[in-house]
Amino acid sequence: MKSLAARSLAAGLLGSCLLGHAAPASAAELNLWVMSTTEQQQADTRELLKPFLAANPTLRVNVTVLNWESAWAKITAAAASGQGPDVLELGTTWVPAISSMGALEQISEPQQNEVGGAKAFFPVMWGTTHRHDDPKVFAIPWYADARAAFYRTDVFKKAGIDPRDAFANWGSFKQAMQKVNGTEIGGKKIAALGYPGKNDWNVVHNMAPWIWNAGGDLLSADRKKSGINSTEAVQAIVYYTSFAAEGLVPKSALEKDSGQIESGFFNGQYAVIFTGPWILRQMATPKARGGQLETVTANNFAIAPYPAGLKGNQTFFSGSDLAMMKSSKNKAEAWKLLAYLTGREPQVAFSKMSGMLPTRLDAANDPGLMANPHYAQFMAQVKNGRHYPSIPGWGPLESVYLKNLGNMFDIVGGLKGKYSPLAIKQAMDAAAQEADQVLYSAR
Amino acid sequence: MTTVLALPAARTRSVRKKKKPDAFPYLLLLPAVLLMAAVNLTPILQGFYMSLLKLNQFTLTQYLDAPFVGLENYRQILFDADNPMRTGMGYALRNTVLYTLTVSVCAVGIGLGVALLMNRDFPGKGIARTLVLLPWIVPSYVVGTLWGFMWQRDVGIVNVVLVDWLHLMDEKPFWLLGSNSFWAIVIPTVWRAWPVMMLIFLAALQAIPEDQYEAATIDGVSRWKQFLHITLPLLKPVIVIQFMFQIIDNVYSYNIVSMMFGNGAGYPGEWADLLMPLLTRQSFSYWLFGQGAAVSFIMMTLMLVFVGVWLKTFRKSMTGND
Repeated sequence: MKSLAARSLAAGLLGSCLLGHAAPASAAELNLWVMSTTEQQQADTRELLKPFLAANPTLRVNVTVLNWESAWAKITAAAASGQGPDVLELGTTWVPAISSMGALEQISEPQQNEVGGAKAFFPVMWGTTHRHDDPKVFAIPWYADARAAFYRTDVFKKAGIDPRDAFANWGSFKQAMQKVNGTEIGGKKIAALGYPGKNDWNVVHNMAPWIWNAGGDLLSADRKKSGINSTEAVQAIVYYTSFAAEGLVPKSALEKDSGQIESGFFNGQYAVIFTGPWILRQMATPKARGGQLETVTANNFAIAPYPAGLKGNQTFFSGSDLAMMKSSKNKAEAWKLLAYLTGREPQVAFSKMSGMLPTRLDAANDPGLMANPHYAQFMAQVKNGRHYPSIPGWGPLESVYLKNLGNMFDIVGGLKGKYSPLAIKQAMDAAAQEADQVLYSAR
Repeated sequence: MTTVLALPAARTRSVRKKKKPDAFPYLLLLPAVLLMAAVNLTPILQGFYMSLLKLNQFTLTQYLDAPFVGLENYRQILFDADNPMRTGMGYALRNTVLYTLTVSVCAVGIGLGVALLMNRDFPGKGIARTLVLLPWIVPSYVVGTLWGFMWQRDVGIVNVVLVDWLHLMDEKPFWLLGSNSFWAIVIPTVWRAWPVMMLIFLAALQAIPEDQYEAATIDGVSRWKQFLHITLPLLKPVIVIQFMFQIIDNVYSYNIVSMMFGNGAGYPGEWADLLMPLLTRQSFSYWLFGQGAAVSFIMMTLMLVFVGVWLKTFRKSMTGND
């Protein structure tokens, strides 16, 4: 009897474990995936959504924050399985890839018009919402980042350099950096320039503007072959790396990542760095709240454009778009959420939270944002923006460049043969060969 | 007499019992067995099937319905020198072999040495045993990140100690660039791996009967000879198993390399790239999923062969019957 009771109990427990319970799903529930861009992305996104939820009391939005490192794997898995969120943030270079997988809901023309259409956004950002060879739009730009030169005004003054001359062109920039290098501030010598070498996600983004400004490109005109070993591209890479080879960038910078280089700028190690608008927010935040407001750097800096090469002074523009998954069961509500987040007020609010730039022209020129002189100065420097070609196979290509450009810094650091333009050219030939293989195998 | 009479009856009962085993316990175990099979076997079979498909960015949404290409992925990996999956594989293979051998030998050697020291009686033995376990408690991705900071040329503690404090070198060397990066991945891995080796050796040492040493001491056998002829033979099964685990762990090493060199950004370099980081990078970031599955399957097969040969070679040692 006892045995029978025990057996029944065991079987019952087993049965209940196997059957489980399924929670009823609410029809008015939306899932939103965003990247970790602010320090408290979850709380900031909830704050951002408050007006939307107040206006739509029947809707519930579940926010999932992904980190950039693992987001790609999760999003491709969602795209492949058709089990994803209703609305998701995509890095601008990811839109053509995910849309080519057939995972994104196309955004109709009336919908585009509802948010102002192409003319309401930075043209370079609108270009990321569709493939370069297909006008079908699959995303709406959400926030942007661009890069410019941040320099120490006190160091330039002490070295007797006029910043307008220094950032005029490649020749004057090199001369200025030679003059600035080793300037003593408070008894401490400062290095002219700081940039990361390898071990960093931004290696390609950092190099791209120099390649473009020399007249080169990362892809051939027909977008079928790599352009990284063209004469112009190699010229740009040699120019860029010569700063490290000549000691104007401390060799120790080459093993650091972007965050460490920015810290070095705040701590007075480098007189110039090229980076994005997010450091403005850091330099406006007191140290007690994790910022850099009280540093000498925060009180003595200004912003300049990229020095012009033979073919101009473009900067690298990127950021994030918002898209709807085809698998969404609540497309009308998902669009409502997407249209709200890409609207003027939320973009201004998110720019204040994250330090990123709005993608809408009216939001970017918002008087509240423009009241910050550094923001206004930054916006004036980045009008001339460019993005990578909007092709589905960009991701693998960027990975090849990331690997090869990073590896090249072993040569620049003097740890793999002797640094010379020829050695750089050979490294880029190898990079181009690998890139071509990847482009070929992606067909 | 009663005992003798009782025996056949007992045997009969036991024979009857054997003939009709109770199926109920097996029934209760069945879901767990099925679940384990599903969790372990399904991904392996699915992985193998994926390796027979042309599974890339454009066919990923079709997943297992992607075009079937038979052994084409294997042919490309093994025989097509222009295949992007193969770029840098020579370096990664060389590094993985050197790294696995160096780390395994050092971790097992240090683990055994420290276990011998810890097996003696000394004041604070308990605290010392706990403290030496600390590196093992640190998760490997944290080890990678922390050592990444420690290896930095200018401000990293390693160069500060070697150059600024001890003046062992004239100039601060790079650890994360160039050929030194091999040691930059080996040392943290050994640092994290030896404590657990030590713990297992210590448990094994304590199982060796004390009277064997006592007898040897009475016979005038030196400590070194006691180690060679008593300790080492009795520890052989443990050493063999520890080596096998170390080799498997180190061939599949990923976290430390990945975290130390920019959290997966870029390339650890020709001296720090291992097979798993290479496989992950080239399979996932080049979107060659079918080929990635094929490389994984080749690695898994090679590892199975290795484990089989290892177990066969040392079977007697492990059962302690030699």
